[in-house]
Amino acid sequence: MSLMEEVIAAVDEMPPFPQVVHKAMQVLSEPEYEVSSLVDILKVDQAVTANILKLCNSAYFGLPRKVSSLKEAVVYLGADQLRQLLLSGAASKIYEKPNEGYAVFADELWRHALATAVMAQVLRRHLRLKIDENMIFTAALLHDVGKVVLSAFVSDKYRAIEPLVESGERSFQEAEKEILGFDHAEIGAKIAEKWDFPPAIIAAIAFHHEPFRSPKEFRLLAELVALANNLAVMVGYGTGVDGLACRGHGLLLEKLKLGERDMEELLLLFQIEMEKTCDIAGVGNG
Amino acid sequence: MSLVTVGIADLKVSNNPEDTLVTYSLGSCIGLTIYDPMAKVGGMLHYMLPDSSINQEKAEKNPAMFANKGIPLLFKQCYKLGADKKRMIIKVAGGSQIMDAAGTFNIGKRNYAILRKIFWKNNVMVDGEDIGGNCNRTMYMQIGDGRTNLKISKRGMVEI
Repeated sequence: MSLMEEVIAAVDEMPPFPQVVHKAMQVLSEPEYEVSSLVDILKVDQAVTANILKLCNSAYFGLPRKVSSLKEAVVYLGADQLRQLLLSGAASKIYEKPNEGYAVFADELWRHALATAVMAQVLRRHLRLKIDENMIFTAALLHDVGKVVLSAFVSDKYRAIEPLVESGERSFQEAEKEILGFDHAEIGAKIAEKWDFPPAIIAAIAFHHEPFRSPKEFRLLAELVALANNLAVMVGYGTGVDGLACRGHGLLLEKLKLGERDMEELLLLFQIEMEKTCDIAGVGNG
Repeated sequence: MSLVTVGIADLKVSNNPEDTLVTYSLGSCIGLTIYDPMAKVGGMLHYMLPDSSINQEKAEKNPAMFANKGIPLLFKQCYKLGADKKRMIIKVAGGSQIMDAAGTFNIGKRNYAILRKIFWKNNVMVDGEDIGGNCNRTMYMQIGDGRTNLKISKRGMVEI
């Protein structure tokens, strides 16, 4: 079996993306969705229902009385919180596998994925980008999903990859591609395809290290995920063995004429938002 | 020994010789440790931005996020535990950059530059540092003896 065939076999073995979350996202993407149709989808999954009620009744929201109906909780939390809860719940399970190929510390891939998603949301709001919030959060959260499959392969070839990165001329992703013949972005797109995600999300995952290669109609999302990834890595959220050896894609900043101070303010807003998210998701900050 | 985690945009001080302060994954952020070997008091700061003038209101609530607010606060908190400025041993790490020829993402460089400026104005000497490049660093400081170690991607453990 060739290396690529081995990787494709590993992709095929990935568990499916939870259907409940898929269906709920479709409803949540409508500007005026029916609460009852959302409840009908969610109530099928007991674990999801329990998590929604748990979040709603958590100290974070400090409600004066206990909420025990799913419908009430869905209304109270609203689209943004629900989206974050459902997608994060699904993604954290996917990323929790051991990642000996990339990670230095446990749960690093997951923390990086979450930070990238929060960063992408902050960028969208602050820059007033007209892209669907579901798309952004999903694409940013899943951009590194290829690493889950490639981890073992990168670990095997690390001795060949490392000197290329050490020379300072190649990013980790470029070295990975040179040694393996493909990279985690390409494999991540294959996983998203298997999971039936829309083409825009597949493209954002495929091109998060090379947004300029994305088909034009999906380029804005790919540029946004690339920038959010850059900033999350830069701040140090979940950088593994690859460290900061990734190429900067500041095109979006240049296009929007954002300077140093704007970027600093974005990072400030991000950090405040990230601390909140870590509180809710029970992830350590730092 | 107990590990005390210093988060991003956070600072901790201690005079418990059993404590080891740690901050994970310094990228463009700066990790700063100060230690008085006589008083056996030390502190660690992990700041992410150079200057709080971008948003004064938020800076009031998050002083450890900024060099210009966090550095003075770190010293003050160590003084409260009996540390003396003249005896302080100062170690600095972080300030990495992603690969970016255009210099758009040069916050690491600016985070380090402002530290040098603040120290120069206040007559503070740096005793050891490991700055820049495109690696990430985890920083440890033992309160018992002030030893500061870095775990660096690709380079393993080093003492500064």
